[in-house]
Formats: sequence, structure tokens, C-alpha cells
Amino acid sequence: MFEFAIFFFFAAVAVIFALVVVLHHNPVVGALALVASFFALAVMYVLLEAPFLAALQVIVYAGAIMVLFLFVIMLLNLQHRREEPTRPVQQFLGYTGSAAFLITLVYYLVKYAAFQALPAGTFNSDVRLIGTELFQAYIFPFEMVSILLLAAIVGALLLSGRSVRASAQ
Amino acid sequence: MIPTHWFLILSAVLFAIGVCGVLTRKNGITIFMSIELMVNAVNLTFLAYARQFHQLHGLIFVFFVMAIAAAEAAVGLAIFISLFHHRETIDVDEANLMHW
Amino acid sequence: MPFDPTDIALSILKIVIVLGALLNVTPIMVWVERRGSALIQDRPGPNRVGPFGLFQSFADALKFILKEDIIPEQAHKWLYTLAPMFGLLPALTTIAVIPWGLPFRLPAKRIFGRMFFEGDRIFEPIVADVNIGILLIFALASLGVYGIVTAGWASSNKYSLFGAIRASAQMISYELALTLAAVSTLLAAGSVKLTDIVWQQTHYFYIFNVIKIPAWNVFSPAMWLSFIIFVVAAFAETNRLPFDFAEAEAELVAGYHTEYSSMKFALFFMAEYMAMAAMSALVATLYLGGWDIPWWDEPQVWWASLLTMLFFTAKVVALLLVFVWVRWTIPRLKYDILMRLGWKVFLPLAFVNILIVAFFVAKHWI
Repeated sequence: MFEFAIFFFFAAVAVIFALVVVLHHNPVVGALALVASFFALAVMYVLLEAPFLAALQVIVYAGAIMVLFLFVIMLLNLQHRREEPTRPVQQFLGYTGSAAFLITLVYYLVKYAAFQALPAGTFNSDVRLIGTELFQAYIFPFEMVSILLLAAIVGALLLSGRSVRASAQ
Repeated sequence: MIPTHWFLILSAVLFAIGVCGVLTRKNGITIFMSIELMVNAVNLTFLAYARQFHQLHGLIFVFFVMAIAAAEAAVGLAIFISLFHHRETIDVDEANLMHW
Repeated sequence: MPFDPTDIALSILKIVIVLGALLNVTPIMVWVERRGSALIQDRPGPNRVGPFGLFQSFADALKFILKEDIIPEQAHKWLYTLAPMFGLLPALTTIAVIPWGLPFRLPAKRIFGRMFFEGDRIFEPIVADVNIGILLIFALASLGVYGIVTAGWASSNKYSLFGAIRASAQMISYELALTLAAVSTLLAAGSVKLTDIVWQQTHYFYIFNVIKIPAWNVFSPAMWLSFIIFVVAAFAETNRLPFDFAEAEAELVAGYHTEYSSMKFALFFMAEYMAMAAMSALVATLYLGGWDIPWWDEPQVWWASLLTMLFFTAKVVALLLVFVWVRWTIPRLKYDILMRLGWKVFLPLAFVNILIVAFFVAKHWI
């Protein structure tokens, strides 16, 4: 009973703050609302018996990626520029398209998503098991992701390093 | 225990909100944030299925998705900074020339 | 979900104890800081309000409550008001997973004719013993950046914004070194739970099979480098000297809390001291053996547990005194040197440290 209350409260928080992200004109308020939404999603992950991923969600998404977003928004001083309103045609098509998409998805989910009862016993998802899996079955993607992160760091440095290119010209 | 399809419906709602953000907004950073919202909705779906079938593979996949989303955010924001330095605007409608 | 009233009552008692201790840290630390700084700088310090100036904190609190609360006109009202509360979030929540005493058995007692604690209940002096332990602390500590960034931006003041961006860049840089340095203690204990880390430190190292020293992580040679990195990164995380360039701008030009007055500023102040206390508790748990009393195998009874709680408090107090001591001894680091240290010195050292500790653990020397 308690779990249902937690689920509904944090699901409402996640959806409401997601709407704030999409609808508010100020990107800083949008970024902070997205942080709140990610936090609510982390609670959802705990309800899904994956506490390690909940902690990772807060560390990686809410604690690092969104800070990066906030830095970029503040350094580029974007909040003072009022975004031009989108053309009415694009707005109408966008809202109705995504509403139709949502209604179709929810309809098919409610109609066809019938699962059997959950397997008995707890879902053993502690850190030790995930670590073992990562270093045994998934060792190749693990190493590849580290190289990908290196490529991302070098790419980000190159793309935003204005002075390097200006002096090269 | 909360039924799995409730998590799937929540994930669908968040995904649709993300789609709405990408389609209707002109601010590049807001579009990027809506994309991150969509990625998180997909993460939730993976975890719901992982719990339903008691498989660890869903968790590992979400782990990799988070790492890749971090890399994507870094590079995407670097691209936005570069765009801003050239065109003084983040409006994606203004980025309409292939080369300037 | 069965609701056990005794469990709920014990949890509420634990929360009351922990919150009470944490909320009282600020007034005590204010007095310690001012008298301590006066001692180091060879001057009397506050000595008018009460004996030895002990009621100075009450006077400060009264001043904060009675001062006029100004909100600048250009500021974003909602975020300006919410920012100090974001700052309090990591300080108040990270203390929930730190074990502060020895778990002991509550014997069944008959009070006023009713049986209490029947069935051999174990009282664990930790508010929430989660399976992910230290990851929760890292997760919540990384949210501390938002208080500063929101405060700087919502003040609608150029200097606040710059101070805020510098402070948050420093915090996220040193978070990496902090996390990687703490990983070595996880490797030694073989578990992420803080209770397991403390239990592992209750054993002993035997040198030459004769000398017995407690197996605190600070006494193990593989951990010395990570101890230094962790303590330095803890100073950077809490924005204390020698890493408080972003805050010291308040003394020179401006800082992220320059537009804040009275109670909101008091909240930032409190958040800083509580974060210091939480970091000290974390250092004590990871490296100084937590609640372990050295050279004594504590029996799991209530009076031994009380002694361990006293020892834990003593360790935290000692670390807080070190924080105050360093603040008034070492000069402030320039910002670019600070960032260079964080990325080019401490991060590679933290990686090297993980390799060293992994080598020691693989050879079963730990």
C-alpha cells in the first residue's frame, strides 16, 4: 500500500516537472525542473529493485550531465534572450502529433501488456553481481565505452576550443 | 508489488512529453533536454522489463545507456557552444545553412 | 508491508538523535571557529556575550532572525528563495547512511506489564542501512552544486554568477578525486556498505606477529595516498580554505551569496557547517575506523555501544578542529592553481592509488 503511494507521488512529480521542462520559456528553470524529474525517476528505479542504478542516475544524470547543461546555459547567457514563439502551424502539429502518439501507445499498452506474476524471490541486483557481469560477460562493451568517452572528451575540447582554430587560420 | 505495465505507461508518458518538446520548441538546449527525457523514459522501460523477468541484462544495458548519454551530452553541448560562437543564437531555426 | 510499531519508534528515535546532533553543529562550530581563529591569531575573540563568549551563537541567531530580508528586484523570486534549501539537502541527507555506533542487542524488557523488544531485536545505530551505502553519499553530495549555481544565477548579479560558476566547477572537479579516493576503501572492505567498511576496520594488523595495531584504513600503507587525496578533496567539496576562492570573493568583490541577507544567508552558513560535519563523519568512517574503539573487542551490549558513539563523536570533533585549524593557517589557493591541482594532480594520483590498492588486495596484503 505504501509502495503505491510512493509510486503515484513520484510519478506525478516526474510528469509535472517534465511538462515544466517542455513548456517553460526559461531554460534555467527547465534545467532545474529536469533535475527534479530525474530525481523522481531515481526513486522509480529504487521501486524497481535497482538501487545501484538509482544512485548512478543521481550521480551521472542529475549530478553531472545537468550541471553541464546549467553551465552552458549560464556561460552563454541564454536566459536574457527571449525565444521567439514557434509558428502556430508547427505548434499545432507538434502538440497534436505527440498527443496522438501518447494515446496510441497507452492504448496498446493497456490492451496488450499483460504480464505473468513476477518470479518469486527478490531480484538480486546488488553491486557485486552487476560488477561481476560487467567484467565477465560484458567486458568488451565496457572497454569500448571507455574509448568512446575518451573520444567524447577530445571531441568536446576540439569543438569548443575557439582560440585554437582562430590562431590556426 | 507494483504491476509492470504501470511503469511502462509512465515511461510512455515521459517519452511523449519528450517528443512534444523536440517538435515544438526552438531553443536548442531545450530540445536537447527533451531528448535526455526520452532517453530516461527508455531507461525506465528497460528496468521495468529487467525486474519482470529477473534478468540482470536490463540493468547492464541501462548502465551503458547512461555512460553513452553522458558522452552525447558533452559533445552535443560543445556543438551548441560552437554554433553560438558563430551565429550568436541558439535558435535551431537559424542554423539553416550547410556552410558559412 | 507489515508495520511494526517498535521498528518505527526506534527509527524515529534514531532520526531525532542524528538530526539533533547535526543541527546543533552550527552554533557550536561558530563559537569554535571564532575562538579558535582568535587563538591562532593571538587575540581574545568574542568574550563579551556570556562566559568565554559562549552565547555568541545565540546573539548571532537573534541578529539573523531580526534582520530585514531583502530580495533584489531583478532576482528570480522562486529560485532565489529555494537556493539555500538546495544547499541544505546534501548536508542533511548524507548523514543518514553513516554508522555512528556499535549495533547491540535489545533484550526483551517488561515495562509497566507489557513486553517490549521481544524476539531479540538488534538496534543498529544507523538511520538507513542501504545496500548501496557509500554510493548514496556520492549521489547526494553531487547535488550540492545546485544550491550554489541556483543562488548565483537567481541573484541576477554578474559577480554572483561568476563566483557561483567557479565554486561549482571546483566542486565537480574535486568530486571525481573524492570518489576515486574512496574507492580504495571499498576495495579493501570488499563491499559498498559503510557498516561493512567499519566492521572490516575492527580487526587488527599484526606487525612481526608481535605488535597489534587496529586495522583502521589510515594505518595501512596502501591507503595513505588515498587518505591525503580524500581529505584534500573534502576541503574542496565543502568550499573551505585553502579552496574557498569562490567564497572569499565575498570578502574581496562578491560571491554566490552576496545578495542574500538574514535568514537565507544563515541557511547557507548552516549548510556549510553541516556539510563539514557530514564530511568529517565520512572521513572518520572510511579511514579512522568509524565507531571502533582501538585495541578493544567491543561486546555487543548497550554500554559498549554508548562508548563507541562517544568515540565516533570524538573523531568527528577532532576532524572539525582540523578543518578550523587549516582554515586559519594555510593561505588561499588561486583559482587556476586550484583547478589545475584538481585535474592534473589529484585525479591522476587517485587513479594510481586505485592501482596500488588493487595490487595490495590481489596479493592479500590488506
